[in-house]
Amino acid sequence: MFNATILGQVFVNAVGLSAIYILVALGFTLLFGIMRVVNFAHGEFAMLGAFALFHLIKDWHWPWLLALPVGVTAVALASLLLEWLVFRWFYQRMFESMIGLLGLNMMMMFGAVLLWDVHERNIPAISNEVLMLGDIIVPVDRLIVVAIAVAALALFYAFIRGTRAGLAMRAAAQDLEIAETQGVDTRRIYKIAFFVAILLAALAGALWGQIYAVSPLLGERPLLMAFIVVILGGMGSIPGAALGGLLLGFTESFVGTFYGAAASAFLTFGVVIGLLIVRPWGILGTPEA
Amino acid sequence: MTPQPRQRLLWIVAAVFLIGWPWLTEDKFLHHVGVLIVITSIAAASLHLIIRTGHVSLCHTAFMGFGAYGSTISVMQFAMPWPVGLLVGMGLAAGVAALIGPIVLRLTGKYFVLITFLLGEVVRMAIVENAAITGGSNGIFNIPPPFPFLTNNRAYYYFALAFAVLGVGFCARLLTSEFGRAMDAVREAERLAECSGVPVIRLKVTVFILACALAGMAGSLQAHYIRFVGPEAYSGFQSLNLVVMNVIGGMSSLWGAMLGTVFMVTLPELLRGYVNLQQIMFGAILFATMAFLPGGLIEAGRRVAAFLRSRWPSTAS
Repeated sequence: MFNATILGQVFVNAVGLSAIYILVALGFTLLFGIMRVVNFAHGEFAMLGAFALFHLIKDWHWPWLLALPVGVTAVALASLLLEWLVFRWFYQRMFESMIGLLGLNMMMMFGAVLLWDVHERNIPAISNEVLMLGDIIVPVDRLIVVAIAVAALALFYAFIRGTRAGLAMRAAAQDLEIAETQGVDTRRIYKIAFFVAILLAALAGALWGQIYAVSPLLGERPLLMAFIVVILGGMGSIPGAALGGLLLGFTESFVGTFYGAAASAFLTFGVVIGLLIVRPWGILGTPEA
Repeated sequence: MTPQPRQRLLWIVAAVFLIGWPWLTEDKFLHHVGVLIVITSIAAASLHLIIRTGHVSLCHTAFMGFGAYGSTISVMQFAMPWPVGLLVGMGLAAGVAALIGPIVLRLTGKYFVLITFLLGEVVRMAIVENAAITGGSNGIFNIPPPFPFLTNNRAYYYFALAFAVLGVGFCARLLTSEFGRAMDAVREAERLAECSGVPVIRLKVTVFILACALAGMAGSLQAHYIRFVGPEAYSGFQSLNLVVMNVIGGMSSLWGAMLGTVFMVTLPELLRGYVNLQQIMFGAILFATMAFLPGGLIEAGRRVAAFLRSRWPSTAS
């Protein structure tokens, strides 16, 4: 069963999964690195992103390429209200943030169940065509999803590395007090970081909903995956999130295809628990003093 | 009046109330709520022990699950009497705790929360995957009561109450002992406690094992009362509910955990028709408590009392 066609096919799937996991985990790690907030409600923003895309396409009949950026941005903008209502109380209070945001997670999930009911919906495929690379079948649908995820990651990298706001964010993540004494307006940086993190989560959710299905319970898996990715790579580390996402996406795709989903879940959890024990700060993270 | 007799009076009133109230009503539903509160109080008090050493565990109901499945399987498949089942369940929970405790308790704060969250998920998956033993997602039905005469809710209430007095009393006694003071020292300043000669890891592991064994007891009592076990009853969400009980009451005292238990068990039973709304409300309570009142209801009461005392100093002496 290990012939080149199947391996190639699995490889294509792995890249798609990895890209989505990295998108979710990047926002999660950004919030932790800068604000010391463990966002247990992160998956719910992914769920909102998926619903935004679904409604813009199904009810408003927008073209996909317009609906995606508009829907995702709208979710991130609306979430700034939640930042003001909920998140700002938890900045730099890690322990309280974990439990308080678990509360927000419950509110958003069950609020969505009340609003949308639990049944699953499908977002219509972007394209039904398939691309043949030798014997490997690549659905164009998947290819677009991967391309968008990779483009978003590149944009994020350019933002963090190339702009003044990105520089200020990296400074704040390294040492908050010194960044403040150098004139970094942390209140503003928090808002920007929150917006970016939610934007990435909503985008990941929309792409996730595109590939699988949309339901109010969509947020659970991305949240779990974000946890695992961030623990693998190291909490607060951006390259760590990328590495963790790749590791998880590839493991899940390969082990899941050949040995079943349960085997891949047990393997992933086992590795993560083992890593937490010997190196809790992750592969690329730094231990706290 | 000196505080001593007043306290004794309070205890007598509490005891009379706990024993007497089931006779004030014939409503089976109220008796049922009473049983649930009493059983859950054991679980909440045992989680309180772990929290008092500075760790918030998100897999505590998994240990209730070990107790429930251990006791159910030994009673139903091996035809053991219930007391043996109870001991098997508690032993299973304590054994697993002794295995993982020394490893996971070295992690601090957020890492402990994350790893227990994942462990809870692993246990749930293990229950679902091993359907031959555990009945998988369907669970196990028609579990017999501990003793044949315990089919009545009121009778079961007294049965469970006896265990709760033992279990919660044990926690209370432990917390007021020198051991309990060492626990507080570990939570407040781990390094300092270690320097003062407190064996930190050994103490944490001991507390963890004791607390998990108590959780196993609660699990067994619950399984033989509800007469059904299934994986969803022991998932992360239920663990979270136990944490909520400790948080809204106030994490710094056992009274807080008891107050939280009464609140969190009664409310859902009264709001049966509005499951989703009730979860939203719990979420809101969780958020508001952590954001504005980390000391919980107990601290709120203290603040109100202090405020009243400052307004009317004459009445407070």
